[in-house]
Amino acid sequence: MTVQTTEKLTTRPASENKAEFIAPDAYPQMMSKQNGIRALQTLQSDHVALKARTAMDAYTPILRDAILDYVEALEEASTDLAQTFAIAHEIRNFAENAGLATAGRVAEILCRYMDEMERVNKAPEPAIVGLHVAAIARAARAEEDDAKMGEMVAGQLMALVNRRLVEAGAR
Amino acid sequence: MSGGFEYLKALIVEDNSHMRSLLRALLNSIGITDIAEAAQGQAAIEALRLRRPDLVLTDLAMKPMDGLEFTRYVRNDQNSPNPFIPIIMITGHTEKHRVEAARDAGVTELLAKPITASNLFARIAEIVERPRAFVRCDSYFGPDRRRHRTEGYGGPWRRAEDMEDVDVR
Repeated sequence: MTVQTTEKLTTRPASENKAEFIAPDAYPQMMSKQNGIRALQTLQSDHVALKARTAMDAYTPILRDAILDYVEALEEASTDLAQTFAIAHEIRNFAENAGLATAGRVAEILCRYMDEMERVNKAPEPAIVGLHVAAIARAARAEEDDAKMGEMVAGQLMALVNRRLVEAGAR
Repeated sequence: MSGGFEYLKALIVEDNSHMRSLLRALLNSIGITDIAEAAQGQAAIEALRLRRPDLVLTDLAMKPMDGLEFTRYVRNDQNSPNPFIPIIMITGHTEKHRVEAARDAGVTELLAKPITASNLFARIAEIVERPRAFVRCDSYFGPDRRRHRTEGYGGPWRRAEDMEDVDVR
């Protein structure tokens, strides 16, 4: 394309040290264009979606056991806040893949609370942390992940955390 | 239907063994079978040298070398085997400052945990369908961080090709 006027150029001076721009066809690509077309068809195919779903489902019981191990470790971490945060983060990361969405959601609220309190240099309240740990444990150990009840508990904890973050000046 | 990925080599860098297994299973489902694994950045550098992967999936938070440091190595170190390799960073840390740190380290795509097959496949499709241009300047080397052109942009032009590439009306 060509620059059609010079008027705006005078108001937008170019930097002396211009960046080098390397177009996609000027460096080695992950795959050839021909393979790329086939790859896109693969990624969009129903057969592959089903295969992926089956693969993920096969891992659900394994991940569920792993989450329960994390829950035990979370309860044992007690007053060790760094450890509590690290474990809660692991639970948040794949509880949903283990079919334990509520435990994951509560773990996410706990992580956000601890993260934001740290950002304003304040210690998280042990009672709030304890409440979340108990809720995570209860949700993870429930036979069925009761979505409706879980939503209610997560909503209440979220409201509590938001209130406390405002009080702590993190909001 | 499957195809297109049979010759692709992938590297998974993730400290959680369950997540590594899950990612491997998802990559297998699209036909990628040549997969190396590493539990943190330093081991991943070794795997890069030995296995020469075409695609990297990496976690962010790992010790002793995290995903950001690993990405910076890939993009900037003179011994890096492939500074242009696509890197998908998979992380539960989705706060704005962390996303920006990942972008500034040079990741190609970001994927939030918990992962889903469709989200992972969408990131891979993006790499295949719309490969990103790379930018090299004093403070950065990596995929172009500007995904969209801003209509009526009034700031300074900094890239050598800007004047030719942008239609100034």
